[in-house]
Amino acid sequence: MAARTLRRFLFTLLAGIGLLLALTALLLLSQTSQSSEQFDRLSGITLLVNAVGVVILIVLLIGNLARLVQDLRQHVPGAKLKGRMVAMFIGLAVLPLLLVYYFSAQFLNRGIDSWFTEDVEQGLEDALDLSRAALSVQMRTNLDLTVRYADRAERLSEAALVRELARMREDTGALEVTVFGPNSRIVATSFDRSRLAVPSPPSDEMLLQISQDRPYVSLDPLEEGGYQIRTAAPIVGDARTGGRYVLQALYPVTQRLSAMADNVGDSYTDYKRQLYLREPLKRTLTLTLTVVLLVSLLASIYGAFFFSRRLVAPIQQLVAGTRAVAAGDFDTQLPTPSKDEIGFLVSSFNDMTRRLATAREAARDSQAQVEAERANLEVILARLSTGVVSLEPDLRIRTANQAAGAILGVDLESRIGELLPQIAAGRPLLEQFVDVARVHLAAGETEWREQIVLRGEVGRRVLTCACTALPAEDGHTAGFVVVFDDITALLQAQRDAAWGEVARRLAHEIKNPLTPIQLSAERLRQKYLREMPPGEAQILDRATHTIVQQVEAMKEMVNAFSEYARAPDMDMTRFDLNRLVREVIDLYRAQDPEVDITLDLDPELPAIEADAGRVRQMLHNLARNAVEALEGQDDGRIDIITRAEEDSGARLATIVVEDNGPGFQAGPVEQVFDPYVTSKPKGTGLGLAIVKKLVEEHGGSIRAENRVSGGARIRIALPADEASREVMLASLPRRGERGDRRRERA
Amino acid sequence: MSLPSVAAEGTAGRLCALLFLLVCLAWQPAAGQEGGSVSVRSADSSLVDGVHRVDARLQYVLSKEALDALESGVPINVELEFQVIQNRRFWLDKVAAELSVNYQLLYNALSRRYVVRNRNTGEQDSYATLYSALNNLGRIISLPVIDEALLRDDRGHRIRMRAVVDVKDYPAALRLIAFWRDDWRITSDWYEWQLEP
Repeated sequence: MAARTLRRFLFTLLAGIGLLLALTALLLLSQTSQSSEQFDRLSGITLLVNAVGVVILIVLLIGNLARLVQDLRQHVPGAKLKGRMVAMFIGLAVLPLLLVYYFSAQFLNRGIDSWFTEDVEQGLEDALDLSRAALSVQMRTNLDLTVRYADRAERLSEAALVRELARMREDTGALEVTVFGPNSRIVATSFDRSRLAVPSPPSDEMLLQISQDRPYVSLDPLEEGGYQIRTAAPIVGDARTGGRYVLQALYPVTQRLSAMADNVGDSYTDYKRQLYLREPLKRTLTLTLTVVLLVSLLASIYGAFFFSRRLVAPIQQLVAGTRAVAAGDFDTQLPTPSKDEIGFLVSSFNDMTRRLATAREAARDSQAQVEAERANLEVILARLSTGVVSLEPDLRIRTANQAAGAILGVDLESRIGELLPQIAAGRPLLEQFVDVARVHLAAGETEWREQIVLRGEVGRRVLTCACTALPAEDGHTAGFVVVFDDITALLQAQRDAAWGEVARRLAHEIKNPLTPIQLSAERLRQKYLREMPPGEAQILDRATHTIVQQVEAMKEMVNAFSEYARAPDMDMTRFDLNRLVREVIDLYRAQDPEVDITLDLDPELPAIEADAGRVRQMLHNLARNAVEALEGQDDGRIDIITRAEEDSGARLATIVVEDNGPGFQAGPVEQVFDPYVTSKPKGTGLGLAIVKKLVEEHGGSIRAENRVSGGARIRIALPADEASREVMLASLPRRGERGDRRRERA
Repeated sequence: MSLPSVAAEGTAGRLCALLFLLVCLAWQPAAGQEGGSVSVRSADSSLVDGVHRVDARLQYVLSKEALDALESGVPINVELEFQVIQNRRFWLDKVAAELSVNYQLLYNALSRRYVVRNRNTGEQDSYATLYSALNNLGRIISLPVIDEALLRDDRGHRIRMRAVVDVKDYPAALRLIAFWRDDWRITSDWYEWQLEP
C-alpha cells in the first residue's frame, strides 16, 4: 500500500515536472526567438528543457499505456472504461490540435512566402543597378582624372611631383593622392591631414592590376558608412629610377549619394538575406510550432490518462469494494473522492458497509453468546453423571453426552448422526434401552418416565429414564430428549444401608439375650445333669449342648453382623501391600496345602497408604472365600496378582484374586456383595459384603465376575495415597461406569 | 485489487530503452557532410620591444552553405583565440592570459566587394574576391599578444591559438536550425608553440 502511494506520488511529481518543463520550454522558446542575446544565453537550456520535458512526458505516457494494456489483459475492473475514456479524451484533444497545427503551418508558410514577391525583388535589383550606374559614372570620371594625372607625372621631378599632386587634389577634390614607388614606397603624397594620419597603402589586387598596365578603380565601403572611390594608374616610362610607380587617388562619394547607396545596398542585402533565410525560417517556425504541438499533444494525452484515472478510480474502488463485501469483508471503507454523484455513491457504499459490519458484529456477538451457552451446556452435560441423549424423530442421534455413552456402554458422542437402533445391534444394554424407548414411541407416548432394568454381561443396571419431546415450529415433534441415570449404585447403597441397619439391630437385639440363654442352659446342665436319670440326662445333655452350640453359632453370626455394621476410625499408615499379601497367604498355604496358591506380585508396586488392619481383613476374607469355594476340589488353584496402575490421575494398587472353582451363581454378579448371598455350604454370607465395605471405605473399587475358563475373579483397586484416594472418591459415582465402558471397548 | 506491477514496468523499461536509443541516434550530428574547414597552418611569435607578437598563417575553406549565406548578406564571424599557458612542474598547467581577436567577413552587394572588418579595432578592408578576403584574413602579421613584463616565471610559457568561424549574428529565428548544424560553426584545432623569451 505504501509502495503504491509512493509510486503514485512519484508519477504525479514527474508529471508535474514534465508539464512545468514543457510550459517553461514554450515560454523560453517564445522569448529566445525574439531576442538574439537571450538566445545565446538560453538556447541550450531551452533545448534541454524541451527535450527533458518531452522525454518525461513520453516516459509517463509509455508507463500509462503499458499499465492500461496490462489492466486490459488482466481484466482489471474499470480498465475498459478507462481505455474508452482515454481514447475519447485523446480523440477530443488530438483532432483539434492537429487541425490547428495543419492550418497554422499552412498560414505560416504562405504568410512567409507572401513577404517575397518578384516585383519587390526586381525593384530592389533595379535600384541597386541604378545606384551602381550612378556611382560608376563618378568612378569612371575619377579614374580618367587619375589616369590623366599619371600621364602628367611621367615628366615631373619628385619636387614638382609633390606640387602637382597637391594641385591635383585641389582640382579634383580627391581625399588623398599618393605616388608609390617600388615595394609600395611612398614617393609623394598629398592628403587631408585632418582626416588621415598616414596615406592608405595599396592593396595587393590593385598592385596586381597595375602590374598588368591597367588602371584600377574600386568602390570601397567605409567603416563609418558610405563609400569612397579608390583609383590607381601606373606611371610608366620613368627614366629616373627605372622602376614602376603608381598614382593612387581616393575620391569621396557625395554624402547624399553615399546615403542613398547605403540605403539601397542595405535594403537589397536585407531582402536577399530574408529571401535566403526564408526556407530555414519556415523550418524554424514550423519546428517551433511542432514542438509546441508535440508538447501540447503529449500533455493532452497525459491529461487524458490522468483525468480518466481520476474519473475511473472511484468506480474501480467501488468495484473492488463490492467484491470485498461479496467476499465477506465488511470493513471496507472507500475514500470519498468529491461531493458529486460519485461521491454520494461512495458515501452510500461506505454507509452500507458500515451497517453490514455492525450487523455482522451483532450477529457474531450473539453467535458467540450462543456458542458460549452451548459450550457451557456441553460442559455441564459432560460433567453430568446423568446421561442425556437427544434424538431425531427417526431415532437418529442428534446429541449425546459422555455419561450417556458410559451408562449404555457405547461411545455415543462419536456416533452422532447415526441411527440409534443400528448402533444398538450387538450391544445388549443399548438394545434393551432402545426396545423400551420404541415401545413407548410406538404407543404414541412422547413424554414418559420409567425405571428400566438392563441386564448385561457385567451385571444388572437399573436406570431411571425420562423422555421429553422437543417442540418444532410447525407444532410437530422435532425429536426427543431422553434423560437417564444409572441408579444401580444408589440402590446398592440403599441396600447396604438397610443391611447395616439390620446388622446393628441384630447385634443389639439378639446378642443381649444370647448370653443369659447360654448361661441358663449351662446352669441347667450343671445343676440337673448329674441328678437326672441317665436317659433324661442324655436328653438334657444333648438339648443343652445344642442350645449352647447354637447360641455360640448365633453369637458368631451376631459378631459378624456387628463387625459388618461397625465403622471404627481408619488408621492410615504406609505399608508394603505385597508383603501383607505374602503374610496372609502363607497362613492359608499352611492351613490348606491341597490348594495351589500362586502369587504374581508387581515388584514395582509402591507402598500404599491405607488401614493395614482393614486391608489384612480384606485379604483374609478374599482368601477364605476362595479357599472355601475350592473346598472338595482336587485341582483347586488360586492366583493372586498385584499391579500398580493409574487411572484418571490416581495411582492405584490393584489386587486380583482368581480361582478355578465353580464361580458365582447365575444372576446379577453385583449381588455377590450383598449380605447372605453365597454359593458355598459354609460361611455367613458376609465375607464379600465386608470386603466391599472395606474397599469402599478406602475409596477403592471392587468388581466380581466369572472367568471365561471357569471360576471367579474379584478385582480390587485401592488408591495408593491420599491424593489418589481423593480423586477416586470424587469419581465414585461414575467409577463403575468407566470400568464397564473399558470392558465394552475392549 | 492487484495493479500491474512487474510486467508493466518491464514493458515500460524496454520501451524507454528503445526510445533512448532512438534519441541517441537522432542526436548524432550529420557526420561526413560537405562542410567548411579552418586550420592554423603555421604560427610563431617573436619578442619585439618587450611585446610578444604573433605571425600566423591560417587557411579558411567555407562550406557551400556558408558561402551562400555570405552572398545573401549574412555576415560570418571569425574569432582568433590565443591562450598563454604557464608551464608548471607539479601541477596542471595554468592559462595565464587569454586574447580574442574578432573579425567579420561580409559581402557588400552594391560594390560587389568582400569586406573584412576587425571588430576589435573597427578597421576594415574590402576585396574584390573572396579568395583575397580569406587570404588576407588568414594572414596574421605581428599581432601583439602579451607583454613580456607580465610573464615572470622560470618554467616558461607556451602559446596556443585557434580560429572559430560561426554565424553568431544570425537572425534569431534561424538559430534553432543553426544550432543543430555543425557546419554553421567550425573550429580549428589548437596550434601550440613554446614562447621564446
